[in-house]
Amino acid sequence: MAFGKFLIRRLLQGVFVIWGVVTITFALRALSPGDPVNLIAGQVPDQSTRDQIRQDLGLDQPMYVQYFDYLGNLLTGNLGYSYNQRRAVNDIIAQHFAATVELAVAATIVAVVIAIPLGVVSATRRDQPADYAATFGSLVGISTPNFWLGIMLILIVAMQVGVFPTSGRGIAFHEAMYNLFRYGYVLDLLSWLSYITLPAITLGTYFTALITRLTRSGMIDELGKPYVTATEAKGLPRTLVRYKHVLRNTLIPIITVLGLQLGTLMGGAVITEEVFNWPGLGQMFITSLRNGDWPVVQGIVLFIAVAFVVINILVDALYARLNPQVTDE
Amino acid sequence: MISDRIKSNLTNELRRSLLAKVGIVLFVSILLMGLFAPVLATHNPHEQGHSDEAGASYPPLGLTDEITIAQDGERVSHTVEGTSEHVLGTNNVGQDIYSRFLYGARTSLLVGLSGTLLATAIGVPVGLTAGYFGGRVDDGLMRIADIMLAFPSLVLALALMGAFGRGTVGIPDPIVAAGFADGMPETITFPGMVTVVVALVTWVWFARVARGEAMAIRNEEYVKAARSLGASHATILRKHVLPNSLTPIIVLATIQVAAIILLESSLSYLGFSGTTLSWGYEIQRGHDVMRNQWWVATVPGIGIVLSVIGVNLLGDWLRDALDPNIEGEGAGGAG
Amino acid sequence: MTEEILRVEELKTRFFTDEGQVNAVDGVDLSIDRGDTYGIVGESGSGKSVTARSIIDLIEPPGEITDGEIWYREPDLAAAIGDDYPDAIDGDRIDLLRIPPSVRRSLRGSNFSMIFQDPQSSFNPTITVGEQIAEAVEVQRRASANPRSTRARSEQYTLTSMILGSMFSSRRYVSPESRERAIELLELVGIPDPIERADQYPHEYSGGMLQRAMIAQALAGEPDVLIADEPTTALDVTIQAQILDLLDELQAEMGMTILLITHNLGVVARMCNRVGVMYAGEIVERGTLEDVFDDYVHPYTAGLLGSVPDMEGGGGRLQPISGNVPSLLDHEMGDRCHFADRCPKAMEDCLNHPPEYPASGSDHHAVRCVLAETGYNDGRALPDDYFDGTDRPAGDKHVGPDDRDEDSDDERQHPPAETTGGEHQ
Repeated sequence: MAFGKFLIRRLLQGVFVIWGVVTITFALRALSPGDPVNLIAGQVPDQSTRDQIRQDLGLDQPMYVQYFDYLGNLLTGNLGYSYNQRRAVNDIIAQHFAATVELAVAATIVAVVIAIPLGVVSATRRDQPADYAATFGSLVGISTPNFWLGIMLILIVAMQVGVFPTSGRGIAFHEAMYNLFRYGYVLDLLSWLSYITLPAITLGTYFTALITRLTRSGMIDELGKPYVTATEAKGLPRTLVRYKHVLRNTLIPIITVLGLQLGTLMGGAVITEEVFNWPGLGQMFITSLRNGDWPVVQGIVLFIAVAFVVINILVDALYARLNPQVTDE
Repeated sequence: MISDRIKSNLTNELRRSLLAKVGIVLFVSILLMGLFAPVLATHNPHEQGHSDEAGASYPPLGLTDEITIAQDGERVSHTVEGTSEHVLGTNNVGQDIYSRFLYGARTSLLVGLSGTLLATAIGVPVGLTAGYFGGRVDDGLMRIADIMLAFPSLVLALALMGAFGRGTVGIPDPIVAAGFADGMPETITFPGMVTVVVALVTWVWFARVARGEAMAIRNEEYVKAARSLGASHATILRKHVLPNSLTPIIVLATIQVAAIILLESSLSYLGFSGTTLSWGYEIQRGHDVMRNQWWVATVPGIGIVLSVIGVNLLGDWLRDALDPNIEGEGAGGAG
Repeated sequence: MTEEILRVEELKTRFFTDEGQVNAVDGVDLSIDRGDTYGIVGESGSGKSVTARSIIDLIEPPGEITDGEIWYREPDLAAAIGDDYPDAIDGDRIDLLRIPPSVRRSLRGSNFSMIFQDPQSSFNPTITVGEQIAEAVEVQRRASANPRSTRARSEQYTLTSMILGSMFSSRRYVSPESRERAIELLELVGIPDPIERADQYPHEYSGGMLQRAMIAQALAGEPDVLIADEPTTALDVTIQAQILDLLDELQAEMGMTILLITHNLGVVARMCNRVGVMYAGEIVERGTLEDVFDDYVHPYTAGLLGSVPDMEGGGGRLQPISGNVPSLLDHEMGDRCHFADRCPKAMEDCLNHPPEYPASGSDHHAVRCVLAETGYNDGRALPDDYFDGTDRPAGDKHVGPDDRDEDSDDERQHPPAETTGGEHQ
């Protein structure tokens, strides 16, 4: 099948991309100043202890040996060992990734739910007040740095209203859901919501603005195509023409753009987590980078790259399903 | 190289679009502020200790701030009033926020413009060569581009900063050297490593766009004709391919200035910058004291938003007027 | 005797663009009898397509029908809405420009339908051909399930219905019966293996097959009037003949009235019994096929016919006449005969805008040219260089027959002016 071939090609490409990311981050570690032994040994000045640590970590080996050892470990699923947390990188990622996924998904939902209707209104009421408002709003949205937006939300919303905590995560979503269904306990879910609302808005604003702009311009293009006139000429209800035909065709290419913007989403998550003290991979990434804890940095970058590759393969598969012209190419 | 048609398109679009005018005004204002920061500043931006007699920071002019201080072993309420000496107030170490705002504009624009220039200088030749010759060179470029896409630009930039450090270059400030602004810092701290890093993170967008253009132009009749007349590849690239792919590159460069300003501010906010005279750094400082001195974080943020809006509007203007047919590519800011 | 089904009087359609007001249709009169095929012929940009779109109500902003009457004979509708809109009714005829948009909209598909020039771009590329035809069937099914008087208000399709439809197949807009009917229609227009074909996407069809499918789609609502806008222009010559044959057959079978828009005089000669020649937004000569082809008076008609090598062969193409493409911008259109600057027989009389004169031939023959009244007088002729550079800024010169195809691309998109609308940001 054509689709199977497509999938295999994409998987091979994905493996290559991940290899590239791994290699680049490894090179960065190799180039970075500072001796990891200091991080681990801390105050211990004893030279023989230091040498022992260096040998245990394989840091006394030539760089290419270290590189192939690292690749070999990755193939067995071992991301290495943190220099100063005394834990396996796998454990650190396992502990923190759920918080980041929660935040990213919530931000995406916020963005999609607000942006698509906004884009549709903007495109169908072109040059009317609603369009101007949406266009101006999205311009501000893509121009606002999200760390500043987060601080402003804390200043204006959290500190004035008092419902939304200014930092931290509270309870995990899966725990809140468990308590809801197991004990019928709603408050946990509300608490979860109160914690995640401001970070999700902070992270989602750029995407809301971006999707609004894409939906608007895509829909305006699409509305100008001859098939829309032809569909109108059939006498179909206007809503049906707009949603079943025009909006659908507008969103198909936007899905691909969103897949590619996943990197921006992860970058945004790093900042948002820092602002709201959200205990996810982003915050861990920054802390580790500041500490020179490269195994953790490498592990998190690898995790992001794998997520990017997998999600984009899924997006491409979805795109091929939605757009029948693709399979013929 | 700028034809009359392009000029008339630009002026027509400018006449038609209010937002394009707003963009130009915003960008030029920020540019002037940055250029003439030493002249416009009222205080040396590094100078500390501008606080009232109780040691409290001034709020912006016209506002008052209620704080609690210790006096003779007791906690008493104390009111600080904004002063015309510090129109935008002072920060938690008593530096003049207005002056730091001006110098912050300088850093943002310096990194935004020079980073874009560097990214263009790396990306365009690579992209043009790959697109023009095709084959293996092209495949290689596209694979590199795939890898760069999987790397969030902020994450890669942070990792690069982590590996390379935060090197800066001191440049003598010509305005101060000429004696127009006494008491201002004598050197401009140019965050060189940040500039290199943002260029390394964004060059691939330029390469992609240049590649697409070169691929289209390579099959044009006039290029084939020039080739059959014996022109070398280098000549064709320089004389035909580059000039004809300029429009989309210029539009992309404009968008990238905005993206890089955002990226620089994010790096500074996270503490990965070489200079303290940066809007992002100032916001970080304001974040720490936002409960008491909200204006410290607020003011520089407005600077970022206005300059990025200005540049984005310029980009929209160029895009609408020149219609270079590039998608939202490369617009991925540090967001 | 045949009855008149559609009568257009003084129709004016304008486009309000940045460059100014474009008079795309400027006072068109038409009269079409039931079961006839009426051809509108003219160069690109003459306003023929906009005329057709004005009749079926497909004019979008910045375009607007600013004046005129479109009388449509439909006794049922006249009776059903007569009480609500007495102004719009005259016996069993309705003036389509005086009824509300919702009622006009309800006429699409079931009373008027349209086939377009380029089938490939006139189908939605991401939905199967069968589904798209079934939609048109469904419109008709739902319409006939409701009494005339409430039909306009029965368009209760909301975003909620759309979302429900995407989740539950029973709530979809298109019913299984309509899908069945769509397959029958595909068979009717001569598509082999209609069951398999219905599940294919537009890009899997050839141009000719897709044009057949579009005809099937247009027939779904069993319309009174079928508007065919350049139905064969995008097709190979051999396929063109097949499509015309198909239209002929279907017309004979179903008794439809066809309004055929074309620049191809061969197609007109083959299909039509009445013809209107359009130039610069006006009908400059109209009448029976014989009136226009044999007893023509207008020098523009003469120019068109003079350039047709073989009318019966179907390959006859309208060749450009030397001179400027007429500008349709209001402020550039002088109050004179719009063809005068290209006319070999331009006289001083032509500096006044001519009314329609009756001409020899049938009773229907009318010409908007002073020659029908006075005959050519060499003494009053305008000097050759009279219009050079003075009267209005020149549009593009016709350089040769090749640029015709590019022009017709413009027109397919819409009237030429609309593309200049631009995006306001």
